[in-house]
Formats: sequence, C-alpha cells, structure tokens
Amino acid sequence: MMFRTPTRRLVLGGGLATAAATLWHPRAALAQQAATLQLSWLHSVQFGGSYIALQNGYWRDAGLDVSLLQGGPNAPVEPPVVAGTALIGISAADYTAAAVTQGAPFRIIGVAMQKNPFAIASLPGNPVNAPADLVGKRIGMALANMPVLEALCAINGVDVAGIEVVPTQYDAAPLVQGQVDCLLCWATDLPVAMEIQGVESVTMLLADHGYAVHSQTYIATEDSLANRRAELVALMAGEARGWAEYQADPAAAAQLTVEMFPDAGLDLPTQLLQAERQLPLMFSDLTAAEGFGWFTDATVAANVETLALLGKPVTPDLWDRSILEEVHG
Amino acid sequence: MPAAPLFGRRLTRGLWVLLILLCWEGLARLSASAFVIAAPSQILHYSATHADLLWRAFLTTLWAAARGFFWGNLAGVTLALVAVLLPRSERLLSTLALLVFCLPLVATGPILRVLYGPGDGPQVTLAALAVYYTTFLPVLVGLRAVPQGWRDLVRSYGRGGLTLLREVRLPAALPYAVAGLQIAAPAAFLGAMVGEFTGAERGLGVLTVRAMRALDLPATWSIAVIAAGASVAAFSTIGALGRRLDLAPPEVLLAAPVARARNRWEGPAHAALATLAVLMLWQGTMDAFGLPPFFAKRPGDVWDYLVTDAAARARLWDALAETLSMAVPGYLCGLAAGAGLAMLLVLAPRLSAATLPLAIALRSVPIVATAPLIVWALGRGGAGTVTVVAMMIFFPTLVACRHGLARTPRAVLDVFAVYAASPLRRLLGAQLAAMLPAFFASARMAIPAAILAVTTAEWLATGRGIGALMATVASTSDYNMLWSAITLIGLAAVLAHALVFALERWVLARTNPEQLIR
Repeated sequence: MMFRTPTRRLVLGGGLATAAATLWHPRAALAQQAATLQLSWLHSVQFGGSYIALQNGYWRDAGLDVSLLQGGPNAPVEPPVVAGTALIGISAADYTAAAVTQGAPFRIIGVAMQKNPFAIASLPGNPVNAPADLVGKRIGMALANMPVLEALCAINGVDVAGIEVVPTQYDAAPLVQGQVDCLLCWATDLPVAMEIQGVESVTMLLADHGYAVHSQTYIATEDSLANRRAELVALMAGEARGWAEYQADPAAAAQLTVEMFPDAGLDLPTQLLQAERQLPLMFSDLTAAEGFGWFTDATVAANVETLALLGKPVTPDLWDRSILEEVHG
Repeated sequence: MPAAPLFGRRLTRGLWVLLILLCWEGLARLSASAFVIAAPSQILHYSATHADLLWRAFLTTLWAAARGFFWGNLAGVTLALVAVLLPRSERLLSTLALLVFCLPLVATGPILRVLYGPGDGPQVTLAALAVYYTTFLPVLVGLRAVPQGWRDLVRSYGRGGLTLLREVRLPAALPYAVAGLQIAAPAAFLGAMVGEFTGAERGLGVLTVRAMRALDLPATWSIAVIAAGASVAAFSTIGALGRRLDLAPPEVLLAAPVARARNRWEGPAHAALATLAVLMLWQGTMDAFGLPPFFAKRPGDVWDYLVTDAAARARLWDALAETLSMAVPGYLCGLAAGAGLAMLLVLAPRLSAATLPLAIALRSVPIVATAPLIVWALGRGGAGTVTVVAMMIFFPTLVACRHGLARTPRAVLDVFAVYAASPLRRLLGAQLAAMLPAFFASARMAIPAAILAVTTAEWLATGRGIGALMATVASTSDYNMLWSAITLIGLAAVLAHALVFALERWVLARTNPEQLIR
C-alpha cells in the first residue's frame, strides 16, 4: 500500500490551490444573485410585505439581492418584465391577460389580492350600495376601465346604457366637487384619501358582486419559469414570509413603509388606514389554509369567466402554481 | 428726492400683491368643500411643516432638470449650427427634430425606463427632449439674422462659412439664443417632473402624483408654487445674463429679395429622403438597443397592423379627427394671444411686471396639476381642451415675440421718434416686421406643443380623441395601436409644419428676406 506522505510541496501546493480558488471565487459562498421586483405603483403600504422581507433580510439569507422598482403613471409593469429588467412584476389578471393576447409570454405565479380592490365610491347622501343603484348616475372613471363597468353590469343584469360615464383623472376631487355621483376606484386609495380629508364615503366592492379578477398578481415570463426557478422560488418565499408578518401586524408595516421611504411624502395616518383596508382583500380562508398568494382551480375558473366578459379570453394555463407549491410545500 | 416716488411705487405694488393674496385666500376659503384651490395660508403652512421633504425633492428634480437643460440646449444649438453650415441638411434635420419632439410620454416612458434601469436617466432625457426643439428654432433664426452687406464683406475678403459663422452669425444669434434658453428653463423643469412619472423614486413629480391622489390640495399647490418659482427665477436670471451679453444694438437687416428658382422635384425628393431617414432611425435604434418587439414596435409592425386591420384604421381616423378639431382652434388662439400680448406689452410696458410671472407659472406647472382647475372652471367640453392647448402655446410665443420686437433696429426706431409717431404707428410700421421671424419660429415650435397639450387634456379630462386612445391602449399593452397612433400624430405634425413653413417663406420673402438666404 502506498500512502502519499504529506510532503512540504504537497502542502504548499494544496495551500496555493486553495488560495487560488478563493481568489478566483472570492465570495462564491456569499454571492448574491441580483433580482428585481417591479412594483405596480408608487411606494406605499400597498407593498408592505415586500418591505418587511427586504428589511428583515429574508431574501438576503436566501442568496438573493432584491431591488424593488416602484411604478408610476407612465411606468407600466409589463415592458420591464418582458425585457428581463425585472424578474417578477406585480400586475393584475386583466392587464396580464391583455398583454398575453398581445404576445407577451407571461404566467401568473401568485395572487396577492384574492379579492379585486375595484370599488364604486359614492357620497352618503346619494349612495351606490348595489350595482342596480348605478342606473341614472354619473360615474367618474378612466375610459380605459370601461370594460370593468361593462362586466359588472353584465354579471348583475344592469343596463350599462343607463349609466352616464364621465372620463376623469384618477382622484377624488370630481366626486367631492359634485361633477360626478360616484367613482370607479380602488377601495384602498381614494376612499382612504377622502376619509383622511374628513369626507365620509360609501364604497361598494365589485368583488362582492361577482367581479372575480385576481389583483396584485405576481407575473414572470415562461423563460424565467424554465431557467430561473430557484430565484423565483426564493423571491416568492420571501414575499410569503413578509406578508405573513404584515398580516400579524399591519400597523408595524405602515410604520416601516413611512420610515423606509422618507422622500415619498407618505403620512402615517393614511398608511395605517390603507394597511387595514387591504387586509380583507389579501387574506382569506384559502390563504389561511394553503398559504399566501394561493389560488385554486375554482378561483382560476371564476377569473377565466370574468375575463371573458371583459373581452380578454384566457385559458387556465395562464396561471402556474408550481412556484407556490415549492414555496409552501 | 428720487427715493420717495420709488418707495411709493414699491408700496403700491406691495399693496396690490397683498390684495391679490387676500382675494385668493378668500376664494379658497369659500370653495374649501370643493377641493379646488388651496389658500395661501395653507400653502405656507404645508411648506413650513414639510420644508425638509420639499427641499430634498426640489434638489432632486432641479439636478435632473439642470442636466437635461444643458444637454438639450447643447443638442439644439448643435443642430442649428449644422443646419446653417450645411443648408441642404436643414429640411431633414428639422423634420427629424420635430418628430422626436412629438414622441409622447406613454411611448417613451417605458422605453427609457427599460434602457436606463433605475436612476434618473429618463428624467434627464425627458428634460433634454423638452428643450432642444425650442432652442433649435430660435437659434436658427438668429444665425440667419445677418445683413447681406456683412455676408458680402466676409466673402470679399475671401473667407468662407466658418469665418462668417464666427464673426457675424454667432453674435447675431446670441439674443435669439437667450430667448430659446428662457423658454427652455420652465420646459426643462416640467420635463424632469413629468419624467419622474416613469417610476422615479423621489422628486417633485413623484410628490405631485401622490398629493393629487391623496386630495391633498396644500401639498399640490405648494409643489406648483415651488415649480413656478424655480422657473421664474431661472427665466429672469437668463434674461439678466442676456441683457449683459447683448451689447450690440440691433442692425438694420438689409437683404436682396431671394430669386425663386427652385427645382420642381426638390420638395418631393426632400420628403422621400426624410421619410427614409426616419424609418431607418426608428428601426435602427430599436434594433441596436435590442428592445423587445412586445412594446417597441418597428415600422414594419405598424404597417402590417394598419394594412390588415380596417377597424383599427377607422378607430384611429375618428380619434385623429376629434383631436384636430380641438388642437387647431387652441393652436390659433394660443398664437394670437401670445403675439397679441407681446405687442400689447410694447404699447403698455408697465403691464409686463404683472403678466410675465403668471405666464411663466402657467407653463411650469404640470398639466396634470392644472387640468383639474381648468376642468372645474370650464367643464369637460371643448372649451377646456382648447384653453389647455392655447395656454401651453401662449407662453413660448409671448417670449419669442417679445425678443423679436426688441430686435427692431435702433435706426428705424429713431426715424419714428423724429417724426413723433404714436406707439401704435411705431409698432405696426417698424416693430411688427422685426417680430415676424420670431413669430414664425414660435408658430413652428407650437405645433408639437399643441399636440402634447391636446393629447394630455384628452387623456385627463375629456376621454376622447387620440390622447385618450393612446392612454387606453397603453394600459392594455396594445402597443401596435399605440405606435400606429404615434406614427399618425407624427405625420400630422410634419404636414402642419410644412404648411406653416410655406406660409413663413411666403411672408418673410416680403418682410425679412435675410431669413431665406441659404
């Protein structure tokens, strides 16, 4: 039997080799994979769970260096995701469906808002409590959202011709000024703004009247799903942990948001109220049982049905649960 | 005792300002429940309590605006120099410059963000894009405001175009460049603010979006006041610098009438060449940066889409007709108001202290912030849209025409003074002719400005026309339709430009022949 006696040369050589290896891959063990999450709007507690994940290092621990890109009025989510600038984008099922019709290779890999946040806001003196109340009213909305109103009317058997549509900018002023009787908006922004300004309002959530469209959905390209799975799983796992903490203490999330973005002009009372208002939209019996972001064949089927009414026919293949299954598995 | 009347005048002015502030305060308090106007006291309170935030945001936006201002003006002056040194390239250059200026934010925003990634690249670029065209045109006019005699003098010494440029053209262009820079100052600030809508992390534009959604009027108005204040300050600083530089009194610009011996095929040949260059530039840039065809449509995509889809064509035509019916009256009103006020201020110079700051303020506050006010005052019908368009055109026209009027040759004015001519007589007989080149330059600048204004108003207020169409299709990722709309708008702008250009040549051949010598 021949043993290689440890000679000086061998030790030296081994040492040099090790040193060379560490020089060559100086931080192989610590290497952080860069990944970008494209948010759908300006920073606010709307993305509170992501801020918690970032702050607590959930992504860093998984070897992911995540940057959060905020959106804006002229910053659509789809282009950076298609271009590969962002790994994951936060969109909504109807926008994603439209983009897919135009040839974008997207899949929905998670659903943050189980209930769609679209609502009709009105003033208590002339309230809209049910879709039937819309008839004879002037509704202020962006014309781009016309399919939303049409779908709501179709689902509830209301004649859309009986509603006067007034194209407005996205703010509550036209309602307060009496230019319109109600607004199509998110339940979590304009009604919150009005309440903070001392204007009482009535909101009717479209999701409570059959409008089933997943919102704040996580989208990724088919290419990323095939080639960057580990990063997708790590990113979504961080999201799930962050949002679980958000659910436990939304007030802390609002506080964190205000502190994290001192230049955003956020104020704590608004963020606190918004954080509270979006809780019931994001967390349900389904997420309690299966985990954050979950969707089932049944919820997907309901979405497919509503999207068809919106003129955006899609198949259930648009949704891909494999990433979530790894995250929660 | 000269101090006493001066003090008295200041006191009267102070009283006027106080009165206006009081009226503003009263109006704001009375209409508080409508959430339209913030009172001066509220603005002051908000600014004081958020001074830190506003200051940081202001510096961010100012830094982006300053860099955009620099690059944009550099590009504008360079283009003008090339156009003068290589006269054959002028038509092509001005067409390209016009088309790039017409690109709407809905299309450029996502592209710039993907190209630059995070950071302030898009803001700087959009600020630069907002100013280069309005510098290019006045500087070009200035480079041509040269007496025939001087050109002949340079030539008789056997010197060429470069000497002419250095010794004659550049000094002549200086006052016009000042006008261009003055117009550019508010435009750069506005461009940087609007550029922040593409996903910037901080700045006054970001705060505007937030404040408007939050129904936070004091915040919205504080930002508007800061933006307007910065623009007024930049405007006056450049004006003061210009007055120090502009030592030479305006010359009498004598030039022989231009012989019209133009080739019949020159026009169509130019048009074909320009079209080819635009198409190659469009395709080439998108390919060079590897922009995904999902949102960066090439000329071929637009062609296929428009040829195969009759419904899309019809939709596009209807929208364009609707838009033009608003843009054309607004364009004419804005030009008339700008030139009219410039002439009025010559007759009554004391008015200018009150009107100029207001005019600058109107130009430097983003339309998204002013549109609700206009809509509230004038409704969502045609009147509001026409007013928005007129307002956006009015300011550059006013500035350019004032500078033009100031270029009236001293010798000519002296003649009028000797005969004790009335100011009106002097205006019509002498100053009007000096104003015309600047007026036509602003008429050309106003074409893309009118398009920008009308599409924004349509998007925010009326929901009709091509502006609303572009916003709608951009939100549903229908980039084929978006780029088709952009193509059509570009075509309309080029045609309008050709029309104004022809009119300009026809008029200037009679009044200012020096402008037509190539």
